[in-house]
Amino acid sequence: MAIETRKKRPPSLIGSFRATSVAVVLLGILVGTVIVACVGKNPANLFKAIWQSFVGQYNRGMGRWSFSPLGNTLTYAIPYVLCGLSMGFANRVGMFNIGAEGQYMMGMLAAHAVAVCVPSFPGQWLLCIAFAIVAGAIWGGIVGVLKARFKISEVVATIMLNYIALYLYRLVALYILPEGISNKTYQTAPLATGSLLRGIGISVRNGVVVLGDFQLNIGFVFMLIAVVAFWFIMEKTRLGFSLRATGFNKEAARCSGINDTSAISTAMAISGAFAGLAGACVLLGSLRFGRIIQSQDNYGFMGIAVALVGNSKALGTLIAGILFGALRSAYSLMQFMNIPREVVNIIEGLIVIFIALRSGLEIVKAYRAKQLLKKEAR
Amino acid sequence: MKKVLTVALCLLLALCLVSCGNKGGSSKGNAKGASDAKGSDNIRVAILTDATGIDDKSFNAAAWRGILDFYGDNGAGRGTLYTNITAQSSDDYLPNLKNAAAQGYDLLITTGFTWGDSVTAFTKDYPNQKVIIVDVDWLPQTSNLIQYIYEEEQGSYLVGVAAAMQAKADGIENPKFGFIGGVPGATITKFEVGYIEGILSVFPYAEIRDYYANSWGAPELAKTQAKSWYDSGVYCIFSAAGGTGGGTIDQAREYRNAGRNVWAIGVDSDQYEDGIYAGGKSAVLTSMLKKVEISTVDALKKVKDGTFVGGVVKQNLFNNGVDYSTANAELSDEAKAAVEQAKADILAGKITVPKTVKELMERHPALGKLNAIDD
Repeated sequence: MAIETRKKRPPSLIGSFRATSVAVVLLGILVGTVIVACVGKNPANLFKAIWQSFVGQYNRGMGRWSFSPLGNTLTYAIPYVLCGLSMGFANRVGMFNIGAEGQYMMGMLAAHAVAVCVPSFPGQWLLCIAFAIVAGAIWGGIVGVLKARFKISEVVATIMLNYIALYLYRLVALYILPEGISNKTYQTAPLATGSLLRGIGISVRNGVVVLGDFQLNIGFVFMLIAVVAFWFIMEKTRLGFSLRATGFNKEAARCSGINDTSAISTAMAISGAFAGLAGACVLLGSLRFGRIIQSQDNYGFMGIAVALVGNSKALGTLIAGILFGALRSAYSLMQFMNIPREVVNIIEGLIVIFIALRSGLEIVKAYRAKQLLKKEAR
Repeated sequence: MKKVLTVALCLLLALCLVSCGNKGGSSKGNAKGASDAKGSDNIRVAILTDATGIDDKSFNAAAWRGILDFYGDNGAGRGTLYTNITAQSSDDYLPNLKNAAAQGYDLLITTGFTWGDSVTAFTKDYPNQKVIIVDVDWLPQTSNLIQYIYEEEQGSYLVGVAAAMQAKADGIENPKFGFIGGVPGATITKFEVGYIEGILSVFPYAEIRDYYANSWGAPELAKTQAKSWYDSGVYCIFSAAGGTGGGTIDQAREYRNAGRNVWAIGVDSDQYEDGIYAGGKSAVLTSMLKKVEISTVDALKKVKDGTFVGGVVKQNLFNNGVDYSTANAELSDEAKAAVEQAKADILAGKITVPKTVKELMERHPALGKLNAIDD
């Protein structure tokens, strides 16, 4: 019925999902600007920092223009986009996957184990990534099976599995993986050199591309592949159709011969695979040492916001993820300009709230349409 | 619906503009002050911390205190001469270091060993950027990096002597002592071994117990352990366990408030105030002080004088890097005198304090098995 009303009306600006996403982000930044002004700082610096995280800045130490902030933006975007895809994929099937954080950690753990236990060989990173994807898929799949077979709320299950993943990681890293040389409570043995993600580009130093000091690793390519895979599976395959149908209306899907149990399990497994890949990319691409995780990295949770802003669509999530990457990159830049670091968190929070507001709006809209129908019937 | 939204947005904007207008004046004032400060030829420094920032009341706070001491301007230069950059998670470390280098700071301060790998990677690519790191001595040596390492066993020796002499002054026969650690490891072993050596220098056959909570943030474990030890006649407990140690102080405070003669010893910064109970008295007899601020001041001076040379710098009693606290008035004069004597003896080279369980066991074969580990 909701679809019907939307068809009748010409697409208004507020009605359009894309326009609201843009509006929501702008509104978030606008209110952020006002907050910066209210605490007595120069709001222009906020925009300067966000601008710099796309175009780079003048490096006083090196005496030339540096694209390193853009490199940071795109590097941060890798886990944001992948976790956003994870959340978005489940969302399209009508599931709320809060477990991207746990699936991310399990992926990271699998990559970590392979990178530390297997002696270095060229192409080891591929093995690490494969294990990470599988581990993430299993961790997500568990929730899918629990939901499909036993009707256990995926929200509760994923929250609990996040904690299990965190402590399982710590347990394995502390007691099973080979010990580090120093600080055994903080890091395991170093990652094998063959497992580190190579830089993108031509000139390579220490396994990382140096284009000035612009740094980006091959995880970015994997992220782009994941975006395309998301779009292809969701929009172009029979599996994707059955998943979307389940998402629209589970009962109707079942009536038309779609196995909703398997759809839900598959969707959660694929959703987990994206997050698992994110974990591997962060460990092998950004961290590059055998960190024993201390607390959650929060990429999984931010993925929820990314997916919401991106409307759970492949391209939308890519753009939203890069935007969040830029905000994250600006987080450090704006601190140098005396803007309180909390402002970025506030902007991120505001975007989420405004997005939620939009969802609330949809509910109100649906309710009003119902009332209208009732009136007409009378 | 559109109308409602438009109205809401307008209201929000109006609200924002109003609150913005109020503060306009102060923002201008700030900007002016900042440009004034830029005129001076002072050196500029950035301190890079993890998510907790400089308000962690401990390690980072001490490093920041050092910066404020150096500039002596009560924080007026924050944002121009010195600034704090926090990271949200460990994959921010390297980007933050690079961003800081891009701003042309004279010195970058990183606190804690978690920064180790990132600092190593950074110093390789930025050979002209001066960096210091605290609590680390194993990174590859480069000309632009000073690694500050603390000899905590010396400070711990002093508080061990203080605890033992206090027991002696109280006339306690065969006093027992306890040590509570966080996660076992070589660093925390230095605290335990120094403390035990200090006690044994007064009571060569004292009974000493140790316990590791395997966590830096589990005060309830320390509290339970402290209760059972105090109940079984332990006189004083030294906890070097981060947040976990709060449990020990809590229990000591409860028991002292109930009139029992037991003590806790604080660590890193002066924890006297954490132990205050009824009547303004404190259950924290003394604290092992680890002065992180000494390192930041030292590095800043070196940068200013142009004497910055990469390498490892040891912070110990000789340069006032570790010490003990005399904040508690109940710490007896005999104890203070004995500690001062011990300090003088260490400075004169008459006493060397062991760093490892192995060295301690060689000196005191009669000592029971300890839970501390040497690696």
